Order: sequence, then C-alpha cells, then structure tokens
Amino acid sequence: MMKPIRVWAIARKEVVHILRDPRSLMMAIAIPMLLLVLFGYALTLDVDNVPMVVWDQSQSQTSREFISRFDGSRYFSIRQYARDYHEVERSIDTGKALVALIIPTDFGSDIKSGRAAPVQLIVDGGDSNTATIAMGYADFVALNYSQDVAIREIARSGGPKLHPPLDMRPRVWFNAELVSKNYIIPGLIAVIMMVIAALLTSLTVAREWERGTMEQLIATPVKGSELILGKLLPYFALGMLDVLLAVLMGEFLFEVPLRGSVGLLFGMAAVFLVGALSLGMFISIMTRSQLLASQLAMVLTFLPSFLLSGFMYSIANMPPPIQIMTHLIPARYFVVLLKGIYLKGVGLEVLGLNAVLLAVFAVVMVALANFKFRKKLE
Amino acid sequence: MFERIQQMLVKEFIQTFRDPKMMGIIFMMPIVQVLIFGYAVTTDVRHVKTAIHDLDNSVVSRELISRFEKSGYFDIVEYVERDERATELIDRDQVKAVLRINNGFGEALRAGRTAKLQVIVDGTDSNTAGIVLDYSSKISLRFSQQVLMTRFTRIRGLAQKPGHVTLETRAWFNENLESRNFYVPGVIAIIVMLITLMLTSMAVVREKEIGTMEQIMVTPIRPFEFILGKTVPFALIGFADVVLITLIGVFWFEVPIRGSLPLLFSATALYLMTTLGVGLLISTVSSTQQQAMMSTFFFYFPAVLLSGFMFPINNMPIVIQWCTYLNPLRYFLVIIRGVFLKGVGLEILWPQLAALAIMGVVTLWMAASRFQKRLT
Amino acid sequence: MNTNEAELAVVVRDLEKRFGKFVAVSSVSFEVARGEIFGFLGSNGAGKSTVIRMLVGLLTPTSGSGRVAGFDVGTEAENIKKHIGYMSQKFSLYDDLTVEENINLYSGIYRIDRAKKKQRKEWVLEMAGLRDHRHSRTSILSAGWKQRLALGCAVLHEPEIIFLDEPTSGVDPISRRQFWDLINDLAGKGVTVFVTTHYMDEAEYCDRLGLMDRGELIAVGTPGSVKADLMKDDILDVHCQRPQDAIADIEQLASVKDVALFGRGLHVVVENAEVAIAEIRKSLESKSFVIERIEVIPPTLEDVFVSLIEARDKAMDVRKVAG
Repeated sequence: MMKPIRVWAIARKEVVHILRDPRSLMMAIAIPMLLLVLFGYALTLDVDNVPMVVWDQSQSQTSREFISRFDGSRYFSIRQYARDYHEVERSIDTGKALVALIIPTDFGSDIKSGRAAPVQLIVDGGDSNTATIAMGYADFVALNYSQDVAIREIARSGGPKLHPPLDMRPRVWFNAELVSKNYIIPGLIAVIMMVIAALLTSLTVAREWERGTMEQLIATPVKGSELILGKLLPYFALGMLDVLLAVLMGEFLFEVPLRGSVGLLFGMAAVFLVGALSLGMFISIMTRSQLLASQLAMVLTFLPSFLLSGFMYSIANMPPPIQIMTHLIPARYFVVLLKGIYLKGVGLEVLGLNAVLLAVFAVVMVALANFKFRKKLE
Repeated sequence: MFERIQQMLVKEFIQTFRDPKMMGIIFMMPIVQVLIFGYAVTTDVRHVKTAIHDLDNSVVSRELISRFEKSGYFDIVEYVERDERATELIDRDQVKAVLRINNGFGEALRAGRTAKLQVIVDGTDSNTAGIVLDYSSKISLRFSQQVLMTRFTRIRGLAQKPGHVTLETRAWFNENLESRNFYVPGVIAIIVMLITLMLTSMAVVREKEIGTMEQIMVTPIRPFEFILGKTVPFALIGFADVVLITLIGVFWFEVPIRGSLPLLFSATALYLMTTLGVGLLISTVSSTQQQAMMSTFFFYFPAVLLSGFMFPINNMPIVIQWCTYLNPLRYFLVIIRGVFLKGVGLEILWPQLAALAIMGVVTLWMAASRFQKRLT
Repeated sequence: MNTNEAELAVVVRDLEKRFGKFVAVSSVSFEVARGEIFGFLGSNGAGKSTVIRMLVGLLTPTSGSGRVAGFDVGTEAENIKKHIGYMSQKFSLYDDLTVEENINLYSGIYRIDRAKKKQRKEWVLEMAGLRDHRHSRTSILSAGWKQRLALGCAVLHEPEIIFLDEPTSGVDPISRRQFWDLINDLAGKGVTVFVTTHYMDEAEYCDRLGLMDRGELIAVGTPGSVKADLMKDDILDVHCQRPQDAIADIEQLASVKDVALFGRGLHVVVENAEVAIAEIRKSLESKSFVIERIEVIPPTLEDVFVSLIEARDKAMDVRKVAG
C-alpha cells in the first residue's frame, strides 16, 4: 500500500527540481501562451484578400464593371493589371498572385448581345486549400453578376422587376460570426495540455536513470507507484495552472464565449491531464534515455493531437480508415468535450460518452506506467 | 586535424546509430508524418451530415433538396418533422447542417416572388461551417439562376437568354487540387528542421549533462572541429530524411516533381546551415537536456506555424507577416513547392536561396562564436 | 564458517549473473557474519558491483541463491531494501538539492518518524562534517564530502547491513582514512558493512575479504589467512640501478616467478627466497648492475592478489594451448 509520507517526500523533491530550473518552468508557461497568442491572433484558415492578377483584353465598361465585383469584395485583392499572358504567367510563378482572371476581347459585346461570355480563371493549385476556396468565391461572384445582368435586362426592357428567386438565409449556431478563434481556441487547450504534459514528464524519469540518481532510489523501500504519484503531483499542479491561464486568456483576451459549465471544463481537464502526464511518464519509463524520450513524445503526443484530434482538421473529412484510428487518440475526446462545453453549452447528458472514454484513457495510462516501472537496473 | 574531425564524426555516428530505437524513431517519424499529412490532413469538405426540415413538400422544394443531395457535398441523414429534433441532432453532433424550407415556398416561386431557404450550420467548426455555407450559396444561386432564366424566356420570348458569364477554371501545378501535393513537400521542411534541431541541441547538451564534455575539452581539439563533429552526422541524417520523404512522396503519393533536384539539394544544404546553427545556439544556452528540449519547441512551434506550411502567410496580420521574413522555413517552403509543383528554377527562386544563404551563414557564425566562448 | 545461519547477515550460494552470453558473475559462494566488515576486492570489471547489486535487489540473479538479512535476494528483494542501506558507485544524490534537502528526502522515503527525524538528521550532518553546509547545494561539495553525505543518507534509517560500492574511489587519501574511521565506528555499533574497493590498502582494514577476478571468487578469508594460506611464495624487494633494465634479466631466471616495478625498486615473486637471492645476485652482478639491497619482505595483499591472478592466467593459457 502506498505510504503518503513517501509520496510527499518525492513530490517535495520534484517541486524543488522544478523551482530550481526557472528556465524550464518559464517555458512551461510561455509555450502555451505563445500558442494561444499565435492561434488567437495570427493564424487562420480563413481565406480573404486572395492576391489576383487581371488581364482585361476587353477594356470595356462591361468588363470593368465585372472586374469591380472582384475588387470590391473582401475575397480578392487585385495586385496587378497584366498586359499580356507572359506577365500573367510570371505573376503566378513568382507567387505574386494566386489567381488570374483573363477576360476575352469580346466580353462586352457578348454580354450585351445575350451570349455566354467565357472568362478564364487560373488558380495556383499549389495551396489547394486557398485554391479551392478562391475558385468557390470566383464562381460565386460570376454567378451573382450573371444574375444581376439578367434582372437588369428585364427591367430595362420594361418588364417587371424580377426578384432573385431564391434567398438563402444562413444561420450559424454557436458561433454566429463564424469567428474562427472561437472554434480554434477551445480545441487548442487540448493540444496545449498534451504538449506540456509530454514536455514535462517525458524526461523526468529518464533523466534520473541517465544521471544515476534512480539507482539510489530503487535501492530503498519506495514503491514504483509512490514514485510515479510523487512525480505526477507537481506536474499536475503546473498543468492545471496552464489550463487556468488558457481559460483566462480565452475569456479576457480573446473573448471566446464559455457557455457551459466551468466546473465540468476543469474536471475534464484534470482527467485528461492525468492521462497525458501518465503517458509522458510511461514514455520516460520505457526509454530510460532523454534523447529517445523526447523524440517519442513528439510522435506519440504532439503530432496526433495536433493533426488528428479534430482540433484543426475536421475528422469527418478524413478517409474512413484514419477516422477509425482517431478513436485511439485521447485528445480527440477532449476536443469534443471542449468545443461542446465552450460553444454549445452542453453537459454530460450529451458528452457523457466522451467523458467516460477520457477517464478510461487516464486509468489505462496510469496503470501502464505503474506496470512498466521496474525497481531493477536491467 | 582532419584525423580528429574524423574521430569525432565516427564517435558521434556510433553513438547515434548504435541505438536501434533511436534509428527507428529518426526514420519512423518522417514516415509517420508524411502518411498523416498525405492522407489525413485535408480541408476538403464532403459528406456533410445534413437534416432536412421541409415544411412545404412541393415539387420545387423537393427539386431544390435533390440539388443539394446530388452535389455530393451533403449527405442527407434524416428528414425531421419538428424543430426540437433538428436542435437535438445538431447538439449531439449527428448533423452539421439543417436545410429548412417553410410552408409556401413553392407558391412563392410560382407567383414570381422571392422564396426563402434557411440553412442552419453548426458553427463550432467554423472552417467547415463557412465552406458549407459557400456550397449552399452556390447551389442556391444556380437554382435561382435557372428559375430566373425560365421567367426571363417567358417574358422575352423563347431563345432569348440574358448575357451571362461562364467561368472556365484551370488549376496550375496541381490540377486536381490534391491537398497532399500541398502538404507532402512541405513535410520535408518541417521534419528536417525538427530532427536536426532536436538532435543537435540535445546531443551537445547531453555531453554536458553526463560529463563527457569536460573530457573532450581537455583534448587539443579545436572548437570548430568539435562543432563539425557534432553537426555533420545530423546534417547527413537531415539529407537522408529529405531523400526518404521525397521518395515516399513521389512514388507512393505520386506527388509530381518537376524542378531540378540539384537545386533542391543545394537549398537543403543552405537550410540545414540555419537549423543546425540554431540547434547549436540552443545548446549554448541550455545546461540540461530538459532545457534544450523546451527551448527547441519554443523555437519550433512558431517557426512551423508562421511559415506558410499550413496557414497562408497572406492572411496573417501585417506585423506578423513581416516577422515571417526572419523564418528560414518560409523561404525553404517556397523553394520546395517551387521545385516539386511549379517546376521553376533558379531564375525565380534566387531571392529565397539568397535569403537562406545569408541566414545560414549568420546563424552558424553566431553559434560558432558563442560555442568558442564556452569551450575556452 | 558453519555458524548458525541466523547469525549470518549475508549468505550466498553459487550466485550467477549472465548478461546475454556474457557471464559477469560465476558460481560465487560466501558468507558474512553479523557485525563484520567484509571487503570485496577485485579489479574493474571483476564483477564486484554486479554482486552487490544482486544482494541489494537491483539485479535478479540468473541462478544460485542468496539471503540478505534473512530475505531471499531473488524473491524478497523489496523486503531486503527495508533493512539495508546502499551507496552506489557513482554519486547519486541530487545536485540541485541542498545537503539538508537530500537528507529530508531520504528521511521521508525511509519513513523515519517525526520524533527521530531531527535527531537523525543532525547526527548525519555531524558525522559528515556538513553542519555548516546544510544549506549548500550538493553540486558544490568536494568528492570527499559527497561520499560522506551519501553514506549518511544510507544509514539514516539505522539499517543492520550497509552495502558500499567503491565508496572511496576518486577521494583523496586523507578523506579516505576519515571515511574508514566512520565505517569502523558503524561496525563498532554492530552494523554489518559490505564494501567493495579496488584499493588494496583498504582491504587491510576489513575483518574478512573476498577476492574476485573475472566473475569468480578466487579467495575468501581474513587478510592474514589470505596472505598466509594463499601466498606460498616469498617476495623480494630488490633495489638496484636502472631497475627498468634489470627486469628483463631477472625475469629469465628459473627461480623467479614474477617481477614488477614497485616504487623505485623491484618486487620479485620467488618460490624460495634463499635460492632466488643467490641467483639474482649472480645475474645482476654479471651484468654490472650495482645492487643496493635485496631483502625478503612480507607480502602485501596486492602481491597476493597479483600472484593469484597470474596463476589463473597461466592456467588459462595452458588450457588454451592444451585444448
């Protein structure tokens, strides 16, 4: 049975280690803040102001009106008016423009005489995300323009004023302005915690093996479980501090609405943290080498939680085999919980299954770490 | 002197390569990342789970709904009768969108009035939500356009159509707009940086921590020989990774490679100068491997996130865009994508190469002089 | 030593440890009585540390058996750890903790109750001479003090047996002496001390010794008995000019078993002192080496050890040649 005195002795020693390495301590706090600031201010998958180059071979009032639809929208930003195809090419090759609009000579007369006017749109397919979105925008602008032309035609020839037949009304739930911050920041908390947990605990046991201090420890009656728990406690406190910081920054700096229960949020965070810390510890126990542990931590914690947890890239859009794999990633469940609590304001009645799975993850990791720790030198 | 360098290199190689686990990770990591970025990471939105709430149930409303279904973007999961059910489905994440058509839709259209379509989306994933709205707008616009055409011909007589624009779109470099063609070449850049950064910084500090550094310092070895010994093996690993990922990208994922390979490798060499330099710098300010690891990540995260690898630099706040000019990853990515997808050469990419060269020289020089001070 | 097993602190029978194909410890058997100072000698790589680590429960024996403090080393390792103290070869307390913090840590680990905690801590600080340095980081201490601190932490909980693995390596001679004073002190209080060392002079301080060579225990006994029983040969101390040149000649002589430089002279191992002295004198004089003196000296443990090992080497060569 675990003896509290021993756990406390180990925990106290870990606290001293942490406090006496102020640089690591600072970074354990700075890295989450850095990530929050980056994602809150600088990073977005939204596409606006796509740089565009235009080659207007028509130079008519019609064509200029058409072009102004692009210029005036928030989607495109016209960087250059090209004089020939070569300039268009160069623009895209050098990356000065991502999109090129080529208007044929007969554009004006085509539109006036009721014919179809073919306009060429060239996109730089390199950045496929931006390209797809830009194509969609351009399609939209062109369609809208065509519709307006038709309505004007009728009105001019004395016909009744036609209204656009279909009016699509969007309603966005939970995140009305489609502010990508609101969608990114809650999920980011999961990523941050995974990363921090990995950084903090993945080296702690390996370091003691490398330095030789572990040999002394395992020659004493201290149990593996006492060692693990003693080491976990201070890092748990540090991790929860990071969560608190992230939530506070989300609230006051980024004004991400928190609609659900704060208690549930911190409770789930605590469960997740235990699992993540134990995973880090497990890596440390298995490798006994700091260099190796750090590499493994990257692959097992940071990468999957960043890319496959649904934080940034929707799991629903991934190929089915990968979607199945993501069920093994604990961060996935935590991201669902976070988004649910923050944006939807729902509780356990909806999120119960995710909460249970998260708890299972934590229990399994703690068990694994304890199981694998051997008080032997080999 | 070369003998000493050789000795150091041999020792470093042995140390690094002796551990099979280390080798496993060094080569597994890139493979895993490439696979993930090649397969999993995509911003394409398809099969959006949708519920239909059609209160009108007329021929035209069903026609509109079938347009949505045929588009391939929407997967109709359920036809709901009541508002509460729609709410529940969204809350439980079982649908991402609800199409709501009110009673009177068909009638309004027949009468020449404007009919309303409500598209409700789950905004928790604002990226997907935005794209879903875009799709919906387009489908609606096309539907609208068609209706308008019929009204137009009715009024003006047959065969009279208004002028309209047809957009012919062509995508250069990546005709099918495959996400992987965008990401996979980029993976080269971020992997190489991670591996060289982490290995260099931690390997040097490891010697400090274990105490073998002292032993080396009392030998006649000169600082730059030590530095070479510490960086060359990792540079080689970096190159090996470039080759490995390129092979996987080209042969497994069929990413095109249209530009010049020598250009790619020279750019890699310049890029490595910077990453190794930064790794060394980190090692001079860290006394434990723990510190080295944290400092590496402190540098690495912003470097990757602000490089244009995933997030377009264009859409960042201006101040941050300026900051990215200091990021070697930014230039290397342009070169990589230029070589793989665009097939452009030196005449277009020389500014990036120059930038990399300058950064490489400066970083290495700074690292070496700091190192010098510490060793002597 | 067929003493009652209950009186024995350590009993080892045919203990063996393999790492893959490599046999680190082979068929080692010995006993240590309560309150003894038992020294384990041998050169580096002889297997001393491996034996200690098995006894302390850090390694599991491949075969054979052992009992420490009445518990089995294979199956009851965790019980053993409650009753012993251990000092590892490499200093393994925490650099970034102060002296006092290190002591507090082990105090907590051994669950020394509150009443005794302070008293034991002060005792350790006093014993190690670190009273004035209680708040200093361990990293700044010199090797000698570090060792004393480590010893202190190992005996905080007043264990009945302590295992010290090369506790004085890297420590200056005066500190070594003081350290052994501490060990004797503890032994005087009834603590059994099991210590490994490669300093032969320290071996003389032990009650009994074990000599290890390449994984095998080649001699066991008190320093006196080892020297007497196992050393059939005599040692000559030869001082002449240019001793390094004289070696070659002396080696060839029939009565000489071995010769080595020792200080400014030579130690020569011979079967029969009288015969050898005559032969050496004749040989040296014939080659015009001026002889300062030749005398018989009592063998040191080092001499014993070296000759034992060489005998084994020769036997092994013979076996190699034969088969």
